[in-house]
Amino acid sequence: MNPVTLNKYQLIIMADDKQVVLERILQVTRYRGFLINGMNAEVNTGNNIATITMSVSSERPITLLIDQINKLIDIKSVKVDNSVAQIKQHSA
Amino acid sequence: MTKSKTLTGGALLFEVLQEHGVQHVFGYPGGAIMPIYDALYDSDVQHYLCRHEQGAAFSAVGYARAAGTVGVCLATSGPGATNLITGLADALADSIPVVAITGQVPTAAMGSDAFQEIDIFGLSLACTKHSFQVTDINELEKVLHQAFEIALEGRHGPVLVDIPKDIQLAEVTQRLNKLSHLKNKVKLPLADISKALDLLTHAKQPILYVGGGVGMANAVDEVRDFAEKTGMPSVSTLKGLGAINPDNENYLGMLGMHGTKTANIAVQECDLLVVVGARFDDRVTGKLDEFAPNAKVIHFDIDTAEINKRRAADAAILGDLKGNLPLLTMPLYISAWQQRLQQMNTDFAWRYDHPGDNIFAPAVLKTVSDLMPSNTCITTDVGQHQMWAAQHMNFDDPSNFLTSGGMGTMGFGLPAAIGAQISRPHDTVIAVSGDGSIMMNVQELATIKRYQIPVKVVLIDNAKLGMVRQWQDLFFDGRLSETDLSDNPDFVMLATAFDIKAKLITKKSEVKAAVEEMLDHDGPYLLQVKIDSAENVWPLVPPNTANDKMMESV
Repeated sequence: MNPVTLNKYQLIIMADDKQVVLERILQVTRYRGFLINGMNAEVNTGNNIATITMSVSSERPITLLIDQINKLIDIKSVKVDNSVAQIKQHSA
Repeated sequence: MTKSKTLTGGALLFEVLQEHGVQHVFGYPGGAIMPIYDALYDSDVQHYLCRHEQGAAFSAVGYARAAGTVGVCLATSGPGATNLITGLADALADSIPVVAITGQVPTAAMGSDAFQEIDIFGLSLACTKHSFQVTDINELEKVLHQAFEIALEGRHGPVLVDIPKDIQLAEVTQRLNKLSHLKNKVKLPLADISKALDLLTHAKQPILYVGGGVGMANAVDEVRDFAEKTGMPSVSTLKGLGAINPDNENYLGMLGMHGTKTANIAVQECDLLVVVGARFDDRVTGKLDEFAPNAKVIHFDIDTAEINKRRAADAAILGDLKGNLPLLTMPLYISAWQQRLQQMNTDFAWRYDHPGDNIFAPAVLKTVSDLMPSNTCITTDVGQHQMWAAQHMNFDDPSNFLTSGGMGTMGFGLPAAIGAQISRPHDTVIAVSGDGSIMMNVQELATIKRYQIPVKVVLIDNAKLGMVRQWQDLFFDGRLSETDLSDNPDFVMLATAFDIKAKLITKKSEVKAAVEEMLDHDGPYLLQVKIDSAENVWPLVPPNTANDKMMESV
């Protein structure tokens, strides 16, 4: 089997603090072929905006996931955190 | 607005539906949605009782697609809600605006494994564009308005609203504020127009690749104008059929797995693909790496996520097709390319001179197409008959060909035809089905009987799950596993049991008169057409194969 190159990214997602917004993000991330390596979610109770930081890896381009998460109704923005090094991981 | 009145949640639902112009809904009552059905009793909204919630969902889809509006379906909690899921998945795959209302157990019982409780809100995540669960009566009106707005905003899709029983019973003051606008999710257009113009003017062998998004964008006129003024040869996806006038001399037919030989060869040889409302589906592209290998791509779409998803675009034009396509509409000088493809169209034209007395399904569907009134709406189920309908029937608008494209759902055709007929009572509606598919939602014959809906059914009967049988013959060494349906019921007797006039034909000499009799009949009619079980759909591009390596026979 050819080795697969997994690219790792960190996403910063801003979302309205609405029902099941986290489940929606998780479902889209899994379905579109990305592994979740870690995540953190916090809500600003003043403006009801959630900030979700998520580390993902996949052989697929990250734009595929960004575009799909962006389509979710409660999402305000999705950005790749360029300050975190993009690591390439090889697996058989 | 200053008007306000106190209503139950159930009554408020129907007030909001009427605000959005909803006249007809499809559904099935049950315990957790009884307050809504009680409110229906006093409402002017007309409800059609389907005989299975899946039928209700597909009727809502057919209604939406035929009329270009939002379809609405209702179901109770638990199994009622789960029975909607296939219809919602179908609507999501084909971008159809549907609002599904589900009853839920009372909020106090939620999460207790109550009778007929299922987490439909959780189940909806993968099969809707968006979903809501209303746990505060004061949120209900806003949520219902948002459901309609989301269903129609950007790329259309289904929205589910789950309403617990106590919320349906609770009283609230309706504010009658029509819409609470969503935040603007539409991105600024990617202004690649100048790049696209450059590609267009340098192309010698361009192809216009037309998808279902054209009808959704209400851009049929603009696409036809583009095709006429540029003279660009065009091909269509399954869902794009009807967008291009079939009489256009440069129209090459459907592309892809069962596309025409000319369409597939032309796409493989083109140097520019102008993609309008299409998404490079795997049934279209065949082996993706070898699809249109020499072509640059101009991609028009409303959905950012479709750009570069399966094929990189050299120029991406995001936004409203209706406004954007005219920017590229201009004469092109490609007469050599046009003439070559026109000659191929002639050389590879369909043939209907099938030997013997047996009925040739493509010829039947061609006869129906030739004899049916203008603006007839055709629905199909899924399988061989679906591909024959796509190949051999002509449609004058995308809203006149309703087929389950993305999800490929057997059982779609009959309930979708019911929805289409209710939305367009003055047009002829014909469901083209197969003997496998019709049994998937055959209970909807009772809906036809109850409301005397004049849907015609052309049942192509080969006593097989024909498309699977064809693949077993071609790709699984003829090991015919579970595809024999020779013990089908007597379909004429079955239809008659539902007070539906029916007829069986078995010889080609009977076809024309039978089709005329069906079309002349005022009420519902089922025409069972017996065909040879060994017939295959040709051409066929085998899986993971380039489109120009199609099989044309065994």
